[in-house]
Amino acid sequence: MDKLSIQMGEESLGQKAISRRRFLSLMAASAALAGTAGCKASDKDVIVPYSKKPADVIPGIANYYASTYQEGLSAYGVLVKAREGRPIHIDGNDEHPIFKGKTSLRTQAEILGLYDPQRLRHPRISGRQSSWDEVENLILTSLRKSAKNKQPVLLLTPAVISPTRRSVIADLRKTLPGLKHVEWEPARGLSERKAAEALYGSFAVPRYRMERAKVLASFEADFLGSMEGAVEAAAGFAFNRKPATPKHLMSRFYAFESRLSLTGAKADARIRIKPSAAAQIAFAIAWALHHRHGMGLPGKLGSEVLRPFNLDAIARRHGLDWAVLSALTADLARVGRESLVLAGPALPPEAHAAVALINFMTGAEGHSVDTSHSVDAPPLAEPLDMARLSRELARGAYGAAIFCETNPSYGFVNADEFNHDLAKTPMKIFLGLQEDETARRCDVILPINHWLESWNDFETSTDLLSLQQPLVQPLYDTRQTEEILLDWAKELTESSEIETEPRQYLMARWRKEVYPAGTPASFDQFWTAAVCDGILRRQAVSRPLRRMRPEALKDAARSAASAEASTGLELLLEPDLKVWDGRYANIGWLQELPDPVSKVCWGNYLAISPEDSKKFGVSDGDSVSVADGTQNAVLPILVQPGQAEGTAFAALGYGRKGDVAEGIGTNMFPLVADDGPAPFLRLGVSISRAAGRQPLVRSQKEFSTQGRGDIVRLWSMDEYRRNAKPPKDEKELATLYGNPEWPEHKWGMAVDLSACVGCATCQISCQSENNIPVVGPEQVSRGRIMHWVRSDVYYVGPKENPELAHSLIMCQQCDDAPCEPVCPVSASVHSSDGLNEQVYNRCIGVRYCLANCPYIARRFNFFDYTSSIKDPLALAFNPEVTVRPRGVAEKCTFCVQRIRNGTQIAKDQNRPLRDGEIVPACAVACPADAIVFGDLKDPESRISKLSRSDRGFKVLEEVGTRPAVTYLAELKNPPKEVRRV
Amino acid sequence: MSEAIVLPPELRLDPIVEGDVSIAGLDQHVLELIETKPPRSWYIAIAITSLMALLGFSAVGYMISTGIGTMGNNVPVVWGFLIVNFVFWVGIGHAGTLISVILLLFRQRWRNAICRIAEAVTVFAFICAMMFPAIHIGRPWLPHWLLPYPNERDLWPDFRSPLIWDVFAVFTYFSVSVFFWYLGLIPDFASLRGRVKSKIKRAIFSVLSWGWVGDARHWLQYEQAYLLLAGLTTTLALSVHSIVSMDFAASVVPGWHMTIFPPYFVVGAAFSGFAGVVLVFAFVRTTMKLENYITMRHMDLLNKMVLFLSCVMAYAYLMEGFTAWYSSNDFVRYIFVNYVFGDQWWAGCLTIFCNCLLPQLLWVPKFRRSVPIMVLVSSGVTLGMWMERYTIIILSLHRDYLPATWGIYKPTPVDWGILLGSIGIFLTLLLLFLKNIPLIAAWEVKPDIVQELARRRTSARDPERARLMETGHV
Repeated sequence: MDKLSIQMGEESLGQKAISRRRFLSLMAASAALAGTAGCKASDKDVIVPYSKKPADVIPGIANYYASTYQEGLSAYGVLVKAREGRPIHIDGNDEHPIFKGKTSLRTQAEILGLYDPQRLRHPRISGRQSSWDEVENLILTSLRKSAKNKQPVLLLTPAVISPTRRSVIADLRKTLPGLKHVEWEPARGLSERKAAEALYGSFAVPRYRMERAKVLASFEADFLGSMEGAVEAAAGFAFNRKPATPKHLMSRFYAFESRLSLTGAKADARIRIKPSAAAQIAFAIAWALHHRHGMGLPGKLGSEVLRPFNLDAIARRHGLDWAVLSALTADLARVGRESLVLAGPALPPEAHAAVALINFMTGAEGHSVDTSHSVDAPPLAEPLDMARLSRELARGAYGAAIFCETNPSYGFVNADEFNHDLAKTPMKIFLGLQEDETARRCDVILPINHWLESWNDFETSTDLLSLQQPLVQPLYDTRQTEEILLDWAKELTESSEIETEPRQYLMARWRKEVYPAGTPASFDQFWTAAVCDGILRRQAVSRPLRRMRPEALKDAARSAASAEASTGLELLLEPDLKVWDGRYANIGWLQELPDPVSKVCWGNYLAISPEDSKKFGVSDGDSVSVADGTQNAVLPILVQPGQAEGTAFAALGYGRKGDVAEGIGTNMFPLVADDGPAPFLRLGVSISRAAGRQPLVRSQKEFSTQGRGDIVRLWSMDEYRRNAKPPKDEKELATLYGNPEWPEHKWGMAVDLSACVGCATCQISCQSENNIPVVGPEQVSRGRIMHWVRSDVYYVGPKENPELAHSLIMCQQCDDAPCEPVCPVSASVHSSDGLNEQVYNRCIGVRYCLANCPYIARRFNFFDYTSSIKDPLALAFNPEVTVRPRGVAEKCTFCVQRIRNGTQIAKDQNRPLRDGEIVPACAVACPADAIVFGDLKDPESRISKLSRSDRGFKVLEEVGTRPAVTYLAELKNPPKEVRRV
Repeated sequence: MSEAIVLPPELRLDPIVEGDVSIAGLDQHVLELIETKPPRSWYIAIAITSLMALLGFSAVGYMISTGIGTMGNNVPVVWGFLIVNFVFWVGIGHAGTLISVILLLFRQRWRNAICRIAEAVTVFAFICAMMFPAIHIGRPWLPHWLLPYPNERDLWPDFRSPLIWDVFAVFTYFSVSVFFWYLGLIPDFASLRGRVKSKIKRAIFSVLSWGWVGDARHWLQYEQAYLLLAGLTTTLALSVHSIVSMDFAASVVPGWHMTIFPPYFVVGAAFSGFAGVVLVFAFVRTTMKLENYITMRHMDLLNKMVLFLSCVMAYAYLMEGFTAWYSSNDFVRYIFVNYVFGDQWWAGCLTIFCNCLLPQLLWVPKFRRSVPIMVLVSSGVTLGMWMERYTIIILSLHRDYLPATWGIYKPTPVDWGILLGSIGIFLTLLLLFLKNIPLIAAWEVKPDIVQELARRRTSARDPERARLMETGHV
């Protein structure tokens, strides 16, 4: 395809406010790209949009394209919805064998990343706008000089899991032998890798097959939340958590953790530990499996290795309930390989080694720990490596430094030192989307394409290649990273052989390396099919089972046994569920998403236990200074029920400098250790009261059910057995007014609270689908958050270690909706298919409907939230949903636009609607498949069956609203040794 | 001579005016005021109150141009100060009618001297009250959508909504009150027409008095019309706050959904209204030297009403609490406990103290005739009734069904500005009224003066007969 230039005359789009004409021309251009090659976007003022309609694009009808998004070592297969050539919504790719149509909330929010007003729009040299020719000349001169002087050139990138990018870098290295490529993920713990390399010799990134595990245990592993692979894990975990009857399978999950994580909140038995004790406890479990249940140790490993880890002694040493540990070992022994034990990325390598040992003993290695098609992880730099790099920079060792989509000036442990060291390098080149902390210190800034504007491929599994294809023309004067690097390679060799156009390069590589010889289909057919699917499934031989080296295990056991009890606070640092390592800090949707457990948004905090809050005399919102001896950080306190005594937790990724993120939260990277086995677990930190308060921005303030037991339902399996009522025909309550009749459909929803992991992906999906505004921290703290679906959290039981009850609340589309009769202007009305409709144009904003909604499901536009948003953010709006003006009420509509679309399609095709054909945005996004939508009039539909479930209940049924949403009680399957309150 | 008829006490004509009164004196006090230049203190007072009103208008202007969010409203407390103020002012607006109309129907002639001011209080309070529903809506440029009028969209308001009932109730009550007030003014405007010297004023009063000449036929029809309107207004006085209460009672919010609300709101309204007029009278009778017309006996009677209504309010609170407990509904029980023991316990406690306990001072006869005490009690009741609405509206909303949604209401400067502004508007209108409109219904009081003077003449001539008359012998 020709490279389409979107440059409209002198200035590119977005420099000024986007006029309608510009917008339409953008649409035409990008639509052309989305369709076939050929038509070129014409110059400004000449273009007449859609005088010739591009093929494939029908105004008003969405197009969907498969693509792939990389984050760390994950490559999410996505399906992007485009309207008139403009991407507006991201969902998972149904064809993807791992993600199966689901994707992470951060991926979904990347729509805003594309339209981020802060994106770089032109190349810049020393702060002034420049042209590509000028910057290339400058850079090439510098690179040539480095080559001549035999000075190395540094290339710092995030993890490279793209074979194409690797090949591009190899091509560049051919022309620039001094290129030193460092891959770095600032927030990713590398303990698992170190343990694996010691144990097996290499680190094949395993797939954790949660769906195969009947018994799970985790050590500080937030596998449903902030760990890589959470999307697949949530699906697999939920798979065994939604029994249709009390007789069906329900997995059992033990969580050993210090912080109350999203994952720990789902545990059947949650055991508070200090993270430093994890390795010993894990080895003690291995000891019990061996000595009590006779499970064999690997190869030549003698049982003396486990001698220091007598379960009783370890339990006593760490003050744990022996009975619960015994229950876990008994469970593991019972289910054998249908189990899975995980350790979190922050734990030291010996904990990972212990967990690997348990998984080997149970047989889970090779079953639920699946490395059959794993690829070896790229060599990622540790904080230690980065510190070395910093020293090299300080020596002026590099002729040039290229920072590609990475931000060491923010995420490096000692950023100030790094920035200082960086200054010694004569040529600092930045490739990225925004002018971030690093860009501001670079001589040359090159704006790159967003991934929705790029071609690429990714390999995370030997039997699968994922393709990335652009959804839209580059919005600005930007180039894809690969193109920039190839350009340099081409210029440096002065040969014309190197293909620099990313798509051509990718295709050429695929023709050579991927296209299997002897395929009956032509390469073009093969390629088109792969681009269409977004993935390519390949034949690949399974890897043999990993073999454990006993020596490595002995070392691990030795270092675990010798670990001394830590004094002072243990601080756990993890990437934030929302802003990750800070790369999403500029995305308002993510900043405003309340943390699923603490309900804090717009910032991070130091979570400490209720016991410690008494000890230190601090409460929510008090500023404290956390210090590790050399560095310190000041941030507010959150007293987190369930946090282990003597431990603290803080999220990384905050304290960025940018438009949305300026002044939001505190940068915790300085507290990451720059050496040692576990950089993200700090032992012996101290906290002291700092001046002032930083009130937390929270969307929920009350976490107790106030004894209102039936607003959420949290049952143990025993209670389920007792309470399960045989499904019976629903008897309509007598009413004076007669029951409504639904001529065609009656929409309903079911939320399985047992499957729901509370990950909040539905909230972002809903926000993207329904144009829900971001209101900012000040408005959120005043109680004006706009989310149409929210997850309510209640702590049940003792506040030292409570159970967490979730409740996902959206508009319940009540048959007897209290909001309807009170509206004086009939803006709230009922449809003939059971929807509670809100007519925005008619609403005058008396807010009676909000007052009268028992679920507080309605939201109000207290200000004009949308007219002030910066260009080009408005392009992210879904044209099928009204953008609400100031002063009107709004709420969940069950995605009425999708319902009307679906019914219309069925009508056009003259057929009845199929069950599952219409899916609201929240249900599409839910990785746990906890949200089911459908027609209650069809007795055979999935929703009808779920509505009759023996653990179904309606929230606040006694108010008489007759809601259309059925909740399925959340189940816990604790071993009988765990006493529930 | 026939045998003596002894009238029961309630039919005896007690002296209604006191001290040095005369027809001319009344005219001077009431009618001449309109032509004289007011004292300096009046100018100072009106300067202060109009500044307050201006502040209120600026707050409203800022709020309308920026958004409802400039106030403390949030989710779940979607109704805030504006609705509290609305209910409060509607309540204040009740006294006028009750005093003027119900006492008229009961032939309590002592009302004559105070009815005009009481009615003015009603009208001005309603002007304040009616401002709030219009500005509290999210799109304040569309309040007319609440009215049923033929329109190109063929859309009508939803008559099921209590807010629509509200619109009708308040509009009806306001228009009838204005009309009743105006009707009472016609003979006095006619008197003024004859008195004023300026031609412009004469023309204005000519129009306002509708050619009233005071012949017997006029009086006959006038009295009938007056009585009829009084009857109509009485029913409205009972209905308007009943309907306002249905804004709350017809909802499903715990603490609002109560059958006791209509009578409870009416009593509360009368209570705050009486306290309001006591405050106004205490101020007017001293500053304008009307002690002879608005006598201590008036104040005593009004204070008795305040005391009585305070006891009824206490009963209503008890019954409400009892209903909450007896309902066995956890949500409702919680909200009542929350009124007095929750985060904002002071709101509920202040309500009970000001409305039930403080007025008990008035059991002491001396206190009922002491201006400082009555000002203290009435101010307390006014504050207490405002706090009651705050408690009902804000404290019910802030913690309803799902604890996860609980919130808190924090008023902003805009909230306070609008509240202060409404007080400013009310006082400004009152001051303008006191200067420009006969503040005592002269035509109604004059017969009382004539009678009082006759009584005095009798008692001077024939003390024995006077004594018999005073004890009810005819």
